[in-house]
Amino acid sequence: MSFLSSVVVHIPSWSVFCQALIALLVPILVTRMYKKLHSFVGNGRNLETNKTIQSSVSTPEVMPFSGDYQTDLQAIYSRIGSNSDLHARELPIKKLNARGTLFCVDGMQNERVLNMRIMEFLMFEATDGLLAGTVKSEELLPFNNLSKVSDIDIFNRSVLFGHAGLLIEGIPHGLLIEFPNGTNRSITEPVSEALIRGPRIGFSEVLSENTSLLRRQGFSDQLEMKSYRVGTRLQKDLVLAYMKDIVNPDLLQEVQTRVSNLNADFLADSGYIEQLIEDNYLSPFQQVQNTERPDRVINALLEGRIAILLDGTPFALIVPVTFSMLLQTPEDYYERWIPSSLLRMLRFGAAFVALMGPALYISLIAFHPGLIPTELALSIIETRQGVPFPALIEVLILEVSIEILREAGIRLPKPIGPAMGIVGGLIIGDAAVQAGIVSPFLVIVVAVTAISSFSIPTYSAGVTLRILRFIGMIFAAFLGMFGTILFFLLLCSHLTKLKSFGVPYLTPASPFRATDWKDLFFRAPLSLMKRRPAMLKTRNNKRK
Amino acid sequence: MYRYRQLKMLFLYLLLPFVLTGCWSSKEIEDLGMYTGMAIDIGQPAPVEKEFEMKGAEYSKHNKVMTTIQIVPMKTVRTKDKSNTGTNKPYLNVSGSGDSILEIFRQFSVRLDQPIIGHHLKVIVISSKLLRKQTIEQVTDFVLRDNDIRPSTKVYISQGEAKETLESSERNEVPSFHIAGMYRNQMRTSKVLDSVTLSKLDALMKTKKSFVLQNLVSGGGEIEFSGAGIIKGSSGHWIGNLNQEDAECLAWMTNNGKAGTIKAYDWDNQPLAYEIKSMKSKITPFVNEGKISFKVNLAVEGRLIETWNKNNIPSTNYYAEKTSQIVEEKLTQMIQRLMKKLQSTYKVDVAGFGQRLAIVYPSVWKQVKEDWDETFSRSEVNFTYDIKLTDFGSFTEKE
Repeated sequence: MSFLSSVVVHIPSWSVFCQALIALLVPILVTRMYKKLHSFVGNGRNLETNKTIQSSVSTPEVMPFSGDYQTDLQAIYSRIGSNSDLHARELPIKKLNARGTLFCVDGMQNERVLNMRIMEFLMFEATDGLLAGTVKSEELLPFNNLSKVSDIDIFNRSVLFGHAGLLIEGIPHGLLIEFPNGTNRSITEPVSEALIRGPRIGFSEVLSENTSLLRRQGFSDQLEMKSYRVGTRLQKDLVLAYMKDIVNPDLLQEVQTRVSNLNADFLADSGYIEQLIEDNYLSPFQQVQNTERPDRVINALLEGRIAILLDGTPFALIVPVTFSMLLQTPEDYYERWIPSSLLRMLRFGAAFVALMGPALYISLIAFHPGLIPTELALSIIETRQGVPFPALIEVLILEVSIEILREAGIRLPKPIGPAMGIVGGLIIGDAAVQAGIVSPFLVIVVAVTAISSFSIPTYSAGVTLRILRFIGMIFAAFLGMFGTILFFLLLCSHLTKLKSFGVPYLTPASPFRATDWKDLFFRAPLSLMKRRPAMLKTRNNKRK
Repeated sequence: MYRYRQLKMLFLYLLLPFVLTGCWSSKEIEDLGMYTGMAIDIGQPAPVEKEFEMKGAEYSKHNKVMTTIQIVPMKTVRTKDKSNTGTNKPYLNVSGSGDSILEIFRQFSVRLDQPIIGHHLKVIVISSKLLRKQTIEQVTDFVLRDNDIRPSTKVYISQGEAKETLESSERNEVPSFHIAGMYRNQMRTSKVLDSVTLSKLDALMKTKKSFVLQNLVSGGGEIEFSGAGIIKGSSGHWIGNLNQEDAECLAWMTNNGKAGTIKAYDWDNQPLAYEIKSMKSKITPFVNEGKISFKVNLAVEGRLIETWNKNNIPSTNYYAEKTSQIVEEKLTQMIQRLMKKLQSTYKVDVAGFGQRLAIVYPSVWKQVKEDWDETFSRSEVNFTYDIKLTDFGSFTEKE
């Protein structure tokens, strides 16, 4: 009996049970909310629905060449003849006694080559054999880049894209003889990912150049590139690059499915692809890495990842991505391992400061004055005595103005950029202190935070941390240090749940893979890194 | 339609957290009053309070204790003119009297414009007069219970009024920081005793042992560490002071100090100073037929650092021995004076003899620990000295 009563004493009162119930309901409600939000937008994306759209767009009419020169010519003219930049040169082919037409678009072809070589050949040298056998006919044309097109629409598109097209009387299809040769940017150092040491080559906007940059990284017959046409209205080339003998086939299958299911009428940049193939569009963290550096791409391929290159953009995508990759630079591997490890740990520290700096400031100032050393507390009090705002507002004022400054800095013309930086950063900061709007201590906090966020090598990861910083600040303003820790825990739980193409986002840390820790916070000497990352489950994991 | 209603619900969900919370327990640091020093005095209405009470602003109390707190930093009105700000003191001392320290603190809340917080309390000074009337346990009960006040707060005793030690004639100095920083000089002289923190004090009080607290003397707007006040363990009251030299000897004897100088007069009656480099003491207890005795060995190493006598060549072995002898005589004299005070004047053991006994002879200790201070005063204590003169400073080499 006394035993029972001593048990009863320890049963908590109903209010504790209520709190437990609420604590249970919160995550359930949040998950349901999240799911609803996800399905709300998720419907319009790239699932089964788009397949029907795609087929309805591409199937309607296949328009083969009729074989009759005049009809075909008419068909081509009727479709694209109204373009003013289209040149059609009709030329008699002497030896064949036939006619042909050469199509090309202004500025896409080397005029001299066209005039001197191609036209000369066609007009005076082409022989009978060209028309004799239908199969071998192309072999008799002395062009390297030659392809046969049997559909007028495709022929038209290619011509307008810049190919030189040839229609010859007696040949029942169109011939594409020269690749587009438009004006290109020269290959320069990547702007967004500068390195002190390492190759100074960045991708450019031309797909073929980018793939050639990848090929030129080394001799290999295992580097495979598969080409896709993407976009429902304005089509573009997309290339998947991977190492055939390394990549996990399931991963490859998954990427191929997602890429072939892309549903957008035009993909202006690889950013479109990133957003359309990522796992979780509600997450603030990117699940696909973008880079301008071929060396970064080839390293990722050798680890068993897959690269996605799109025509018209210098940014290649790498999948799958883990959190630690965002804080690494290729330079970590080019320099010796001790300085690299140190710098890498520094970057992790900087990421933490960039995320939590102002939140910690708020929670210390407004909630836990006992945690600051006395002398510091004194000087903070002295400097904050004239400040009329609570800590959150004070931090927001300065943080928002720094963000505005940074946003403006991107758009400023180059010559006045640094001058604006000085005006914005120094003068406004100093004036705000003088005017008593913010305290000088906060200026230090905000400046350190801003600098820390610049030290993150991936620009988009830096942006993510900038957004999350504001959420952290609000948490801190509501609940102090407790809120700050709560925010960090929420972030951690989100990150552990996040996946990029089936690979957990935090992987060497959680799920724990001891072997991959060699390349997480510090970078082990190269001689120790004999195996590929275990997280990617590659076909052969020994580096040899 | 259904879809939009759902969306609306979603936004309502998102708004929920804003209804629930409003910056809980957010207190901006500049709106709080940090007190860094606290003085506890004998109860009497503070001058301001007297005036209040004359006008009828009073509450029921017996004025058992007066508490003064030092609030930093003082609010300064921002002026462009920098030279003008110097006239104000950087701190504010507020006094109040009453019967409970917490009640006095809450009484401050009806006088001040900032809530006071105790996280940064550095020193507590207790007046020795008060400790004659009240026990130290009664006086420090609140500060030990309060969970804002850190256990690392240092506790001192003041000879005069405790609240005077929290005042300084130095314009830009906060006296409580000054007091808290003074222990740094321990590396220079053993007259600065090991500071007793609240957590140490708690332990000392609970074991009912007698102990010493550093004594503070104030005068002319300055303060000095002057010896130590003895708290008798059995009663918890202050019973007397040890002077500076006694305190120094106590520190040496308990192995808590290894710095300082011994000044003596030599054969020509000229001053001679011996700088201590190392000081090791070993207390060995003996029990002989129920009679307890102690042997204390003091091993001192040091150098001759100053002599006003120019008649000798201070670099011979003979000279070194002679000097050591003079130093030893002086040290013996000082120690004997301390022992006399401890054994006959105050009859307390504050030098840890009891602890040594408890370690070596636990069974004997169990019998005598109830009335240890009395037993100690009757015990015999013998001293042996081992004084070494290592060098003569950078003057001449010893041959």
